[in-house]
Amino acid sequence: MRRLGQSGEGPWTYILLTLILIPFLFPLAWMLLSSLKTQVQNTAFPPIWVFTPTLNNYREVFIRNPFFTFTLNSLIVAAGSTGLALLLGLPGAYAVARFKQSGIALAILTARMAPGIAYLIPWFILFTKMKMIDTYSALILTHLIVALPLVLWVMIGFFEDVPGELIEAGRIDGCSHFSAFLRIALPLVKPGIVATAILGFIFSWNNFLFSLIIAGFKTRTLPIAVYNFLSYEEINWGGLTAAATIITLPVLILSLFIQKHIVRGLTFGALKG
Amino acid sequence: MRTRWLCGFLFGVLAVAVAWAAIGEAAQFNWQQFKGTQLRVMLNKHPWQIAIEPHLKEFEALTGMKLVVEVYPEDQFRAKTSVELQSGSGSIDVFMTMPAQEGLKYLRAGWYQPVDEYLKDASITSPDYNWNDFMEVGRSAMTVDGRVIGPPIQLETNQLMYRKDVFQKYNVKVPTTLDELEAAAKALNGKAMTDEGQNGYGFVARGKRAAATSIFSGYLYAMGSAWLTASREPAFNSDEGVKAFDLYGRLLRLYGPPGSENNHWYEASSIMGQGKAAMYTEFDSISAFVEDPEKSKVKGKIGYVMFPKGPGGKPGTMATVWGLGIPKSSKSPKAAWLFLQWATNKEQVLAITAERAVQGGRTSVWNDPKAKVKMNPELAEALIQGLKVGNSNWNPAVVAVPEVRDAVGAAIVTSIQGGDVKAAVNKAAADTKRIMAETEKK
Amino acid sequence: MTEHLTFESRRSHTEERGFSGFIERHPVLVFTSPAAIVVFILMIFPVFYTVYMSVHSWFASSLTRPEFIGIKNFQRAFFEDERFRNALWLTLYFTALATALQVVLGVALALLLNRPFRGKGFFRSIFLLPMVATPVAIALVWMMMYNPTLGVMNYIVGLVKLGPFKWVSDANLVIPALAIVDTWEWTPLITLITLAGLATLPLEPYESALIDGATPAQMFWRITLPLLRPTIMVALLFRSIDCLKTFDIIYVMTAGGPGFASETLNVYTFQVGLFYFHIGYACSLLVILFTLVLAVSLLLIKVRRGSW
Repeated sequence: MRRLGQSGEGPWTYILLTLILIPFLFPLAWMLLSSLKTQVQNTAFPPIWVFTPTLNNYREVFIRNPFFTFTLNSLIVAAGSTGLALLLGLPGAYAVARFKQSGIALAILTARMAPGIAYLIPWFILFTKMKMIDTYSALILTHLIVALPLVLWVMIGFFEDVPGELIEAGRIDGCSHFSAFLRIALPLVKPGIVATAILGFIFSWNNFLFSLIIAGFKTRTLPIAVYNFLSYEEINWGGLTAAATIITLPVLILSLFIQKHIVRGLTFGALKG
Repeated sequence: MRTRWLCGFLFGVLAVAVAWAAIGEAAQFNWQQFKGTQLRVMLNKHPWQIAIEPHLKEFEALTGMKLVVEVYPEDQFRAKTSVELQSGSGSIDVFMTMPAQEGLKYLRAGWYQPVDEYLKDASITSPDYNWNDFMEVGRSAMTVDGRVIGPPIQLETNQLMYRKDVFQKYNVKVPTTLDELEAAAKALNGKAMTDEGQNGYGFVARGKRAAATSIFSGYLYAMGSAWLTASREPAFNSDEGVKAFDLYGRLLRLYGPPGSENNHWYEASSIMGQGKAAMYTEFDSISAFVEDPEKSKVKGKIGYVMFPKGPGGKPGTMATVWGLGIPKSSKSPKAAWLFLQWATNKEQVLAITAERAVQGGRTSVWNDPKAKVKMNPELAEALIQGLKVGNSNWNPAVVAVPEVRDAVGAAIVTSIQGGDVKAAVNKAAADTKRIMAETEKK
Repeated sequence: MTEHLTFESRRSHTEERGFSGFIERHPVLVFTSPAAIVVFILMIFPVFYTVYMSVHSWFASSLTRPEFIGIKNFQRAFFEDERFRNALWLTLYFTALATALQVVLGVALALLLNRPFRGKGFFRSIFLLPMVATPVAIALVWMMMYNPTLGVMNYIVGLVKLGPFKWVSDANLVIPALAIVDTWEWTPLITLITLAGLATLPLEPYESALIDGATPAQMFWRITLPLLRPTIMVALLFRSIDCLKTFDIIYVMTAGGPGFASETLNVYTFQVGLFYFHIGYACSLLVILFTLVLAVSLLLIKVRRGSW
């Protein structure tokens, strides 16, 4: 809506923007600042704003903890669950959009309302019986509980934007349903696939609840490692915020690539609880 | 030239002596009998674990077995082990256990492989192991329903830690009773005590729901109450018990840092370490943190005494004992027993005590001057005195320990917040009774 | 290669035999069934299991089997379990407070920002950082900022002569303090949704209102807000569903404390099921929580269709 009589850009617009951004950026900036301070600087009150930054906290985090292993675990689980979700979800989303299967979409929305623990308890008991606790497969499967509905939900929207005539034209040319999907629809939604993959990756990377219970010593992911830090490190704020920065930075950077699609992904919800 | 020859000769003699000793030992006991076996060891992040880890390679060399060691922070450690033991999946061979916390539940559920028989079996127990060398308090804590679960690995007591410099500066007497503790907290609260001359608090301790119960137990017993009666009914809601809840909450509310009701030991130690508290009641292994030169500003300024006595001189000392256990589901329980023995034999206990001041509970090591080089002498004295009177009921001996700890912890928090203590304690007692009825039916 | 494909695809697929023929005859089935089967196994089985266990009593740390007890779990929750009633109340309190804060703030920001300016993409990128940042990291940073003695929050409120507060360590403040964190995280989402909604509003009503001499305030209350209602209701729906189930930040920051002052239903259920191992009772709590989420959603959907 372009409200009449309202000024366009001017210095006030940018001052307003800055004022709005400050509170939203502050905690993240504070995290970064604290990770560059020594313990003495971190526990000073009133807080110190100007100081000589140190990278010691980061060095400590990597020396004292197998942080590379945790990162690798997070990568394996996020890539595995997102990849599997795309493989299963893309044809499904295509069919829902093309053949108007709105029932499935409704089922996904209902599933989204159930609390995560409702999925976790049965799977936890089952995985325990099957001796699958602390395996990548179990973790990937539980993360799929978030990733698959996400892929379906977001991709249905992208496939709906593909003009039906294009597919029809392909069909008349003799394309099978499968090759119409593979060679006509998929290339057209490529940006959507990239956005969805990044979203799925972020959700899995950030997942706390499922990993807390299903991951173990071998498969511990970054959020659990950072959570454990809370008890290992007392309130070593420099170390804690360094770890927090390491885990947050990749998702912040990734999110910048998909800022246009992120709202749709997030209204699907950060199925976090 | 002469010296070199002499050195060579001495080395030769030494080598022969070592070899001879090794042969002698091997003749007595076969450490290699389970060569090639792999053992999965679950450890809790803990001073003992930090101390033993560098030595684990020696075990592998001695026995030809392989160790797969996993380490978790405490809450997760408990959750993980109980889940795995319950599933009976049989892949854990050795785990750290604290019988005061989980002994009854694990034994009743049939998860422990008791080791009484192993101790008597000369084919798998080295003749120089000497079970009776462990202090009485350690042996009894590791015995549940008459069965020996395993050896103790670390003994500690709750102590009063105080700032020697602050007490001296303000001329306050070090408390030996709970009344004196409160008086000292009151006298020192708000006094300047950090390096920069900032004010600090009279007292600090854990206040977080379940976590606080372990520390609170000292106050409970010193006041003359207990967790359970002999007939396994809640006893902590007696008049003495309510007084203990009241005192603990009052100390933290009036003389402690704001926000105590959310403080675990990590926050509490950090406040002590910053020099912002005059007194701290905690288990003594915490000294590793408050004496850590990298993190603490008060290293060397802390004095250690036994936990203050209650009315009528009743002791509030709690002895906590961590030990090693073998799950019944282990496929190689006897090989695991070799690990238990090795980790707690005289040489190992001496080594970790000397290196890391971890008190392993062997009398012979305790009496060895070589063991105490890293141990704060005051702490050591308070510990040895405390172990003589300490009881191991620092948790109610129930099956559903985490749940009961939360119920009791809620009453502690109410007391810190200044609420109706008596009502909260009675509610906690009623909850405890219900939980025990639900989880201990035969 | 292309030639070959074209040649192949010229044939009539419906007449083909084997799998590719099957695809042609049943495209919906073939395309949706992999996802449907996996969704069924991953998500529907647990729901059935949860409902089944909710009428049983099972303490999973013992050797006993689950025992059928009818609706006793539910009776206990509503009539005997103070911790449950406390959790139910806190869940509603937290949800109402957090969603109200972020919807009002989010819509207000959207109205302020609904003007052309250069660098919209940059602004949007920065603005959405709080919601993609890892919740555990967020919780940790806010915990540090809320520290009662050393935290920067007390310094900030001190600048305007307020505080010091105990924030998440204060039983009366902990829910508002957690709601602030949730609001910080999710207000941008409401703003972005509302901005998208504002972009689709028709111009005509405003033009005729201007002719009638309406003030900007009147235009806001009479035109903008009613037109935005569907957008705001959708935002409200998604946020309240998520708020009812908030877990990460509460569990990491307070684990339900001090005492049980921030123990919401989801956190309580986690403790009962995965810490105390009362699986049956935990499942009945899950059924209650799910019913609550469903009820709130239906209510919001109804409100969206009806009048204000």
